[in-house]
Amino acid sequence: MSTDKRITLQQAAEIIKDGSSLTFSGFTIWRRPMAIVFELIRQHRKHLHLIEVNGGSHTEFLAGAGCLDIWESCWVGHELYGKYGANISRKVADKQIIVEDYSHAEMMFRFAAAASGAPYAVTQTSLGTDIHNPEYDMLGRAGLRDGKRIAKHKYQFTEDPFFGAGSQVLIPAAKVDIAVLCVQQVGEEGTVRVNGQYYSDPEVARAADITIVMAEEIVPEEYLRRNADQNTIVSFEVNHILECPFGAHPTGMFGRYDVDGAFLKDFYGRTRTQEGFDEFANEWIHGQNHLNYLEKLGFQRMLKLKANSAMNYSPREKKGGK
Amino acid sequence: MSEFAKPEEYGLADLLCSAASREVGDNEIVFAGTGLPMVAIMLAQNTHAPNLKLIFEAGTLDGRPPELPTSVGDARCEMGASRASGLYDAFSIAQRGYVDLGFLGGAEVDQYGNVNTTCIGDYLNPELRLTGSGGNPDINSFARRTVFIMVHEKRRFVENVSYITSPGWRVKKWPGGDIVPRQQLYGSAYRGGPSAVISTAGVFRFDEESGLMYLDTCHPGKTPSEIRDLCQFDLDISRVKGETAVPTREELRIIHEVLDPDEIFIPKVKKG
Repeated sequence: MSTDKRITLQQAAEIIKDGSSLTFSGFTIWRRPMAIVFELIRQHRKHLHLIEVNGGSHTEFLAGAGCLDIWESCWVGHELYGKYGANISRKVADKQIIVEDYSHAEMMFRFAAAASGAPYAVTQTSLGTDIHNPEYDMLGRAGLRDGKRIAKHKYQFTEDPFFGAGSQVLIPAAKVDIAVLCVQQVGEEGTVRVNGQYYSDPEVARAADITIVMAEEIVPEEYLRRNADQNTIVSFEVNHILECPFGAHPTGMFGRYDVDGAFLKDFYGRTRTQEGFDEFANEWIHGQNHLNYLEKLGFQRMLKLKANSAMNYSPREKKGGK
Repeated sequence: MSEFAKPEEYGLADLLCSAASREVGDNEIVFAGTGLPMVAIMLAQNTHAPNLKLIFEAGTLDGRPPELPTSVGDARCEMGASRASGLYDAFSIAQRGYVDLGFLGGAEVDQYGNVNTTCIGDYLNPELRLTGSGGNPDINSFARRTVFIMVHEKRRFVENVSYITSPGWRVKKWPGGDIVPRQQLYGSAYRGGPSAVISTAGVFRFDEESGLMYLDTCHPGKTPSEIRDLCQFDLDISRVKGETAVPTREELRIIHEVLDPDEIFIPKVKKG
């Protein structure tokens, strides 16, 4: 492989076009590619269709900045640091964002279907709930179910034809244009090694047409290939790579740094209104670049978040963002 | 068993945590959510259920975290675990039928144990959009028993939730939306359902036949009729067994000195 996969932060955001469908690595407030999310906001990206296994702080930033038209997922909030997604909530009430609800396992199984090239998955989760209420097919109501990237139906109900195991739900594969991952290490040729829980990263990387990997460090490919059994994602599933230390901040990264709880609490507290969000974005995103952002955070804060390499989290960071 | 604590020695969160931990049996496989349930499960792990197997939704399997994680995605989940992987494993394990017990929460619960965590008001014109389902319906669909921990307010204990996020004992069969018993819909995948609601007022269980909620125990200082008045439906108070057992001193020591010394989820009772 001679093709150089390296790109810049700016280029990574440019690959995501107005109207693209995309997804991310991570779990709620862990390993989210925040530096690229901030760059998308700086570049005023619009009409994005975000399909994700679960949402988190990054979802709230994109929603608040007006980047999203559609959000398909199951949950949004900041865990302990903010009990719900105030920006998504506001935009849904104002009908500026279409929300399509699936359950958490359904979202996971939809990505697993897409990752294996299957058109749908079958499950018995969430039977009997309003998640399956045909009246609440929001993409259908908006006339967006074209059967191309967006499935013709939100659900199909069927019976098990093989073992008579009763009611089943068919859920469409989650087809996305781009997956953006934020991980500890990527090799020069794209091999990814995730440390700690890998959440739904292997499935989303395989499901997407284009996969961008932002890593704390780009390491020699040969180093990762010495222990191939420890690698998470295969080189050829990754199209572009970039190095961006602390790129997940304010979310956390196993073995590298903790969640910045105080930052998320501040964001949650200040962005209940659009004016509040705009003010926050002007302070932390617009007119900044990643390096300025880290300088603004300061050494003291970064060192406090830095993980102990034996424990994989920071024993200095007071939990609870206090 | 250590002595029970005196009223001035524990708070409401301690009582809920202790009551929740007593729902856990030894050797059970338990699905943990973030917050108070996590403390409750780890309390059980440190007392009467040392062999319980803990699953964190984000992908930590048979976890024995030496330190309380702040959420299921936390790096603190992994240390001591049998395996750290991802959500596909966690949910496949649940669908396969391994999970005995799950702890969940909710904004609203109804008389059949249906829970809403999605929105307040009409779904199509919501007054307030909440967090959404997360794994609540998934764990509740697949586990043998689920226990809900909730703040008790009259507006939260309703006759029928406006949106069923998580399935109780009488649920909707789609595409028509007819109300049917849970067993009928889940067929051979049926394993159980909500077994208890632990609120800030009492502990509630469900009648096997009717699927209706009844009051099992009252928290100290609450009477059955007071608790019935805190529900929008006619709560069955004919089967009350007495008071909810209060935490022991040993449980309080474990909660505050071992599990949550920083008071992330369980505040300490202020002396004097």
